[in-house]
Amino acid sequence: MRPILMKGHERPLTFLRYNRDGDLLFSCAKDHTPNVWFADNGDRLGTYSGHNGAVWSCDVSRDSTRLITGSADQTAKLWDVQTGAELFTFRFDAPARSVEFAIGDGLAVITTDNFMGNVPTAQVKRIADDPDDQSEESLLVISGIKGRINRAVWGPLNRTIITAGEDATIRIWDTETGTCLNESDKEQGHQKTITSLSKSADWSHFLTGSLDKSAKLWDTRTLTLIKTYVTERPVNAVDISPLLDHVVIGGGQDAMNVTMTDRRAGKFEAKFFHKILQEEIGGVKGHFGPINALAFNPDGRSFSSGGEDGYVRLHHFDSDYFNIKI
Amino acid sequence: MAGMAPEGSQFDAKHYDSKMQELLHQGDNEEFFTSYDEVFESFDDMGLQENLLRGIYAYGFEKPSAIQQRGIVPFCKGLDVIQQAQSGTGKTATFCSGILQQLDYGLVECQSLVLAPTRELAQQIEKVMRALGDYLGVKVHACVGGTSVREDQRILASGVHVVVGTPGRVFDMLRRQSLRPDHIKMFVLDEADEMLSRGFKDQIYDIFQLLPPKIQVGVFSATMPPEALEITRKFMNKPVRILVKRDELTLEGIKQFYVNVEKEDWKLDTLCDLYETLAITQSVIFVNTRRKVDWLTDKMRSRDHTVSATHGDMDQNTRDIIMREFRSGSSRVLITTDLLARGIDVQQVSLVINYDLPTQPENYLHRIGRSGRFGRKGVAINFVTRDDERMLFDIQRFYNVTIEELPANVADLL
Repeated sequence: MRPILMKGHERPLTFLRYNRDGDLLFSCAKDHTPNVWFADNGDRLGTYSGHNGAVWSCDVSRDSTRLITGSADQTAKLWDVQTGAELFTFRFDAPARSVEFAIGDGLAVITTDNFMGNVPTAQVKRIADDPDDQSEESLLVISGIKGRINRAVWGPLNRTIITAGEDATIRIWDTETGTCLNESDKEQGHQKTITSLSKSADWSHFLTGSLDKSAKLWDTRTLTLIKTYVTERPVNAVDISPLLDHVVIGGGQDAMNVTMTDRRAGKFEAKFFHKILQEEIGGVKGHFGPINALAFNPDGRSFSSGGEDGYVRLHHFDSDYFNIKI
Repeated sequence: MAGMAPEGSQFDAKHYDSKMQELLHQGDNEEFFTSYDEVFESFDDMGLQENLLRGIYAYGFEKPSAIQQRGIVPFCKGLDVIQQAQSGTGKTATFCSGILQQLDYGLVECQSLVLAPTRELAQQIEKVMRALGDYLGVKVHACVGGTSVREDQRILASGVHVVVGTPGRVFDMLRRQSLRPDHIKMFVLDEADEMLSRGFKDQIYDIFQLLPPKIQVGVFSATMPPEALEITRKFMNKPVRILVKRDELTLEGIKQFYVNVEKEDWKLDTLCDLYETLAITQSVIFVNTRRKVDWLTDKMRSRDHTVSATHGDMDQNTRDIIMREFRSGSSRVLITTDLLARGIDVQQVSLVINYDLPTQPENYLHRIGRSGRFGRKGVAINFVTRDDERMLFDIQRFYNVTIEELPANVADLL
């Protein structure tokens, strides 16, 4: 497969997200300006200008009308997807890291970093249909986690929120009471910072990537460890195929150390594993910096990767991919 | 000493090392350097003011690189510093943070002067300084040649905290008293060895004479040869030094190759053969003279290859347009000379071609340092004629690197 190279970001990529229909791809980078691309040919459709810092993540509503972005400028913003208009700004005392709309798009969870004595938090905001009715108030503030929360996502039926981050622990929180219902097992679980988290299409299980060079598959309700995928490099990004029993894992050594070690040590390939058999299926090369973001198209027929090198690479799978035998 | 250097070669490791040893350990100058060994593993621990921290995190930094761990705090404490670190490892953010920490934001007068050898580099520093200092309300101006003098004068008159510039324009502004040095307390030389070389040294000296007597000096570069280090003794007061050994300067992340082209005339054909590979990503091609930049550009274009070119003789507007095209990816191949080697920091550059081998050892490092930069691997390809073979050997010994013959599948390396 010949990748489509998407150039639009002047600094490292941080996050990629397809809309539900799979025709749009949203990319975030450290250059303040999220981009949206046509997901079939990689043409850039538009940009969202207004943030004053690196943008760490984004999410798009089910009907593809609203975009939410979390930024290191200590704000999260709501945007009109079509016009690029900035609709609302949530302000925080620390960089905003992870953002996700809930089912129904009436709520969003936003995490803030530990910063100058502020504890990291995951906050739930109500998302109004009419931007004029939008309020900054938090319905729930989850704190008591040590270390940055790199990812917070909604659990089934919006009853729970799943958090993961710097302390290598995954937690499930009750969205009614804000109490911690469950924690990942210390011995079975990750040993270092969890960098990324991705849910399966039916939300019954999710995948986490960690600097401990592994990715792990968990049951969403019970937090039982299902599978572990071992790689040779720190993992920065993971995703689960919506179509086949495959997962994709990407990363590479810390950006800070890349230039100081031999080029072969970088290991900037996206690696595909069989979800159930835990065997490596293959890899896709191309980035010359760590992979920071990965996403499958919801139709399962293509995927995108974003790297420290500032490129988004869009790959449409060959027919061979769909006939892999192990 | 002249007899020690083999004829035609500047890459004499023994000579370099003996001069460096002599400088660092002269008995009567034992006290020239200050020791400073603290390492800070997080920005929060460095005692930086809150709004500077906000700027650092907003820029996308999450933790300090090696040079930042050692280099930010001594600069913030008002100490003179000489800081050397490999290309693309975070030196700019180090001195920008150090300056921003010490400014008096209530005083809208120039308090810090940063000098850089090229206009592009000055503009890039200004951009980083502005981004890191956004929450502090810093006013920073890039004062470079080729732009409107009247506009510079107007901006300086309205008041700025920091001026980042090239020596010629800065000296002109000082001479005209558009830039008043009365409140300048920090002076930074980026790419200091270039700034202290024959080409710029006199201008630096002239500027320094106009600055207040008590001033903090910061000297930064990826290369710090003994000649440059010796000059710093004249205007620095017991600097904290962070230096890298000669044979540790080259980044392992940059894979280096050579192509034996036999004759000068065959370089062009070799380059055209590589063109399709070049266009896969952003590439920079270095030649040794401005005239040759123009010549090579014309030749490539006459063969229907799309290339951009820039060098010091071009007018500033053209240079800006070309850099913008290259940075955005509209154009993917840039032909240029050594002086501009230090000002090119484009995220997607992963390949450097030395169409001509550099005549100065430091420039080899800066050229290939345009590809492998913070968080990214790179490839460098050297075109070698029969006359160049010994120089290639000398480069390998000088920097303790292995330069292999270019394999057929070079595209796989990018």
